[in-house]
Amino acid sequence: MGPNIQAIPMRLGAPAVENVIKNGMSGEMPALAGQVDEAQIQQVIAYLMTLTHKDTGTVTGDAAKGKTVYDASGCTSCHIISGEGSGAGPELTKVGQLRGAGYLKTTILYPGSDLPQARVFLESGGLLDYLHIHLVTKEGGAYDGTRVVEDSFRIVIKDVNGKFHSFQKSGLRVFEKQPGKSVMPSFKDKLSNTQVDDLVAYLASLKGDQ
Amino acid sequence: MKIIKYVLILSGLLACNPARSRAQNAPYERILHAPSEPQSWLTYGGSYSSQQFSSLKQINRANIANLKVAWIYQPSKPVSNLEASPIVADGVMYVTEPPSTVTALDVRTGLRLWSWSPTLPEHVVSIGLYATSRGVAILGDTVFIGTADSHLVALDAKTGAVRWDVHVADNAMGYAMTGPPLALKDKVIIGSAGSEAAVRGFLDAYDAKTGKKLWRFWTTPRPGEPGAETWGNGAFQSAGATTWNNGSYDPELNLIYWGTGNPAPDFNDDERPGDNLYTCSVIALDADTGKLKWYFQFSPHEDHDWDSDEPPVLFNAPVDGKPRKLLGFANRNGFYYVLDRTNGKFITGRPFVKQTWAKGLDANGRPIPAPNQEPTLGAGTLVYPSITGGVDWTSPSYSPDTGLFYVSAHETGAYFIKGTGKIEPGPPKGIVGGGGIRALAGEQSYGAIRALEATTGKLRWQFKLLAPAWVPVLSTAGGLVFSGSEEGNFFALDAVSGKPLWQFYMGHAARSNPVSYEVDGKQYIFITAGNVYLAFALP
Repeated sequence: MGPNIQAIPMRLGAPAVENVIKNGMSGEMPALAGQVDEAQIQQVIAYLMTLTHKDTGTVTGDAAKGKTVYDASGCTSCHIISGEGSGAGPELTKVGQLRGAGYLKTTILYPGSDLPQARVFLESGGLLDYLHIHLVTKEGGAYDGTRVVEDSFRIVIKDVNGKFHSFQKSGLRVFEKQPGKSVMPSFKDKLSNTQVDDLVAYLASLKGDQ
Repeated sequence: MKIIKYVLILSGLLACNPARSRAQNAPYERILHAPSEPQSWLTYGGSYSSQQFSSLKQINRANIANLKVAWIYQPSKPVSNLEASPIVADGVMYVTEPPSTVTALDVRTGLRLWSWSPTLPEHVVSIGLYATSRGVAILGDTVFIGTADSHLVALDAKTGAVRWDVHVADNAMGYAMTGPPLALKDKVIIGSAGSEAAVRGFLDAYDAKTGKKLWRFWTTPRPGEPGAETWGNGAFQSAGATTWNNGSYDPELNLIYWGTGNPAPDFNDDERPGDNLYTCSVIALDADTGKLKWYFQFSPHEDHDWDSDEPPVLFNAPVDGKPRKLLGFANRNGFYYVLDRTNGKFITGRPFVKQTWAKGLDANGRPIPAPNQEPTLGAGTLVYPSITGGVDWTSPSYSPDTGLFYVSAHETGAYFIKGTGKIEPGPPKGIVGGGGIRALAGEQSYGAIRALEATTGKLRWQFKLLAPAWVPVLSTAGGLVFSGSEEGNFFALDAVSGKPLWQFYMGHAARSNPVSYEVDGKQYIFITAGNVYLAFALP
């Protein structure tokens, strides 16, 4: 019903987005001011900014060739597209709708270098998604993985095989948050520039509409 | 002789088991001595001092690990923005359900005894706030609620039948009640929210028996009234300073203490030069006349939306060796203040979170502004604390046992952006904010339960939380501090050391006061979260 706003918030900037949310657009969108409170509006803005936070760069490769690269590079062992693949990593069926070409390329070359924002708390920007965690229990067990969920007392991570592990923080000897690291390997030295661009084109084409 | 013996036994039983001896009657004298009746919870903050402290100690450091859910109540329809804190008296718990329903529960089982809902207009105006209720007040055999459409309603405590209903303020203009009333002597005190709709704040008193209005104190002066000069040319439309939470009361001084909200518009100060009294202040009013005895303004000429609507905490403690009547306030502006509550004089103050907007406080407690900390056009100005402050409205706790003031602190900043926004005559079309904020991205924010020395504000210990939390605090004579996380943990800390001793994951952040009560010899801890009302007890 409404327009696709994916690329718009970053272009307008937060104040303008806030203005639209609060005051609406004549004949198109109702004003939310008074319907939701300031904190909720800020959450919506924070979320909208994350939608386009990564939307830089343009598609230059060949999506059809990119699919071949995807199938041949082991991506399916960790990612699901339209029901096919393994779920150790994030599902990519709609990744082209959520992430821009520039961000996709950065992630293929330098996984974990620029994490998207996940849960938005009432007044903070929220937690990073896919944050890499290294922890060692008091019994000596060492675990590495991606944060799935965390609260003030517990954490659940997902290891490279997609297995979930939950811990009480009080039972940990080492608990390190490692932004920049990822369980996903870099494809910087495994794929040519052309292959990377083709792969980006393929992923950017995935809108989840089949 | 037998008769005398029987009477003695009977009176002994009554003394031992007051919850069974009375039928919903909490006269003023009983509320006055609420701290000596810890089996009940007779005001929003547990007593007129708003200390959020219980002297019950059946649940304590030694056995807290065994605390379990005793019962759960859920409203018949799912609710949102549940911020309801209970009143407990004579075996009955009085809670609210958003937006303005009052429900009586059996304290032993959580079973619903009665429920009352007002007939609200089809469109309730709630600008800059949730249409919710933080609770009721009790006085005698009547409970009182302020509704989302700004009525004050008196209900019979045994049935929920309406005794009287007065229309306090015009909801169409943005007045909406979210805070619990405060009942004392023979009257009920109530304020209203609506600063973001640019309403003029007030505090009212009504006769508890009849609903007759006894007095009103306007919290922003208009031309010709004392303080109007602090609004410059904008005095004719002075707005804000709303009173949307609960207050406190000192019966010896006969003074009501109430916090006030931000001026309007929040972030654009172009048309309100001056200190803007009595915004972002605590005001002390004579309970019988509503006359202003004193005020203390935490944030003169405020433009970061730092309301001061936390319930003021009253406590007595020595300062420099002399016993003093004090008022403690962990303000949204990031400073903790200690005032002399007899006259409002500043005693001491210091930041309890990171703050960048003031170089410090002068000898009178007035902030010394730091340069370049005002909201600006475009990308805005990074200021600490954030819009929701070092702490927002959620109640802190004071323990007379430890002398510590416990607060759920927010460590975060925000970019404050100045925009356009003017007060227009007539019903508001939306938030009269005049700007906004942009939250910090990533994991730069966190929360903490902080224990401050109540008379100095010095940090004794902290327990860090993953995110800034909007959960009130309870301390008990069992040596425990209860609060919650934004992720949904409800937990207990050692009141002396801050060490975590127990936690229960509720699946949703709490927004209500944790409280404690006792019935049939069993102590309960109660809180609400998400859509549920939970009572905990030892097995």
